[in-house]
Amino acid sequence: MLEKLMSIDRRIIFILVALAVILPTLIPVSMPISVSEPTQKLYDYIETIPAGGTIMLVFDYGPASLAELNPMARAIMKQCFAKDIRVIGLTLYAVGTTMGSTLIQEVVEETGAVDGEDYVFLGFRPGLELVILGMGTDITSIFDRDYNGKPLSEIPMMQNVTNYDQVDLLVDLSAGSLTEAWITYANVQFNLQIAAGVTGVIISQMYPYLQTGQLVGLIPGIAGAAEYERLIEAPAKGTLWINIESFVHLLIIGLVVIGNIAFFIQRRREE
Amino acid sequence: MRRQVPLILCFVFGIVMIFTQFIPHSLSQSLHQEVRQWYLIIFPFALVFSSIALIRTHVMRIRRRTEHWRYSFLIFIGILMMVVIGVPFGPQHHVFEWLFNNVQVPMDATMFSLLAFFIASAAYRAFRARTLEASLLLVTALIVMLGNVPVGDLVWNTVFAWLPWENATSGMKQWILDNPNLSARRGIILGISLGVISQSIRIILGIERSYLGGGD
Repeated sequence: MLEKLMSIDRRIIFILVALAVILPTLIPVSMPISVSEPTQKLYDYIETIPAGGTIMLVFDYGPASLAELNPMARAIMKQCFAKDIRVIGLTLYAVGTTMGSTLIQEVVEETGAVDGEDYVFLGFRPGLELVILGMGTDITSIFDRDYNGKPLSEIPMMQNVTNYDQVDLLVDLSAGSLTEAWITYANVQFNLQIAAGVTGVIISQMYPYLQTGQLVGLIPGIAGAAEYERLIEAPAKGTLWINIESFVHLLIIGLVVIGNIAFFIQRRREE
Repeated sequence: MRRQVPLILCFVFGIVMIFTQFIPHSLSQSLHQEVRQWYLIIFPFALVFSSIALIRTHVMRIRRRTEHWRYSFLIFIGILMMVVIGVPFGPQHHVFEWLFNNVQVPMDATMFSLLAFFIASAAYRAFRARTLEASLLLVTALIVMLGNVPVGDLVWNTVFAWLPWENATSGMKQWILDNPNLSARRGIILGISLGVISQSIRIILGIERSYLGGGD
């Protein structure tokens, strides 16, 4: 029995994981979500931006991370459009271009935001930190046109936006270490206020920057997305997925506990 | 000459770019801006080179009939389709967007989703409290995992409702992230930064030459 438990077929574990995902998807459950301090800070910061203010929303992620980061982007855009804050979307990650464009279109259909007045999507430029530095001097030196090819000089909301001095906040949604590049080059050199939304695996990496104030707020993974949806009072995919993730976490914790009990019993017998 | 020219270029541009960072004079800043423009022009060439390298690798696989060589044709079909639509019409074209949203996105997301299955299996097999350090890691991981999902607080607030601490699971997780994690991370960041500085100096001075590849 013990040997069987210790060498359980991995396919059984796979089936258990699949069930832990599928069942709560079919029968949704709702659990109370408490808001963490870093998420609350970002929400509060955006709330202090006056109507007519501008934020930059950077889609530094690809399809592999969309489950965690798309709900964050959606929630932030909804908050901004509701408060009449303008959004400049862009990406330093080639694959983020179509994703950012598609997501903005989805949110625009829900909120009725107007292209060129409430938001603009600039698209992608290669060069990472050089793009960050370049926009600090002059955005048009990097992006002379938006994603649809319209010159920035003809876009109403860009008339008074030259560089980071006219941007109230930059929110980097990242699946890698690009947030650190934004902090190093845009925050340190141009004093641009930065917040981040990151995938679960890099949350711990961001905490030193939160403590120093180089990040004004942080949305940590899908849990943070659900927290943000609670704050804007618009539960969506983040809330659904964190509830599903609860069951998967419980399953993994259960497996680890069972594995350790079996391990200790076996070790005691061997002794 | 094949090695000397890149070494000289690396040295000159490395030094110049460092100085332009610290000299706020307009001449220095315009030089910095000019070089940035060059970089933006040079960068796409790297994409061309990487595409050529990818094509060469898969041509070799087909020629040598290595394992799963037939899948290399899929690479060519994928590249060809995206180039044929993307280059003349741009990524805004509805066919390009459709292919991206309905082929690349699901495939990429699926590959990443598989991790959940492997992590669960690996955690069951390998996450054992064999030593004190492993036990600490195990307990910390369990607290963070439980504190990261709403069920953690739900269980705590239900089972330990008589205790004065509400939402203690997420509170413990937050404490772990704010204190032990933050301290360790700061040490790691400092170490990495010092490593990057020393490696950059080695490259600029031509001591580290591995980026030049092999040959003379």
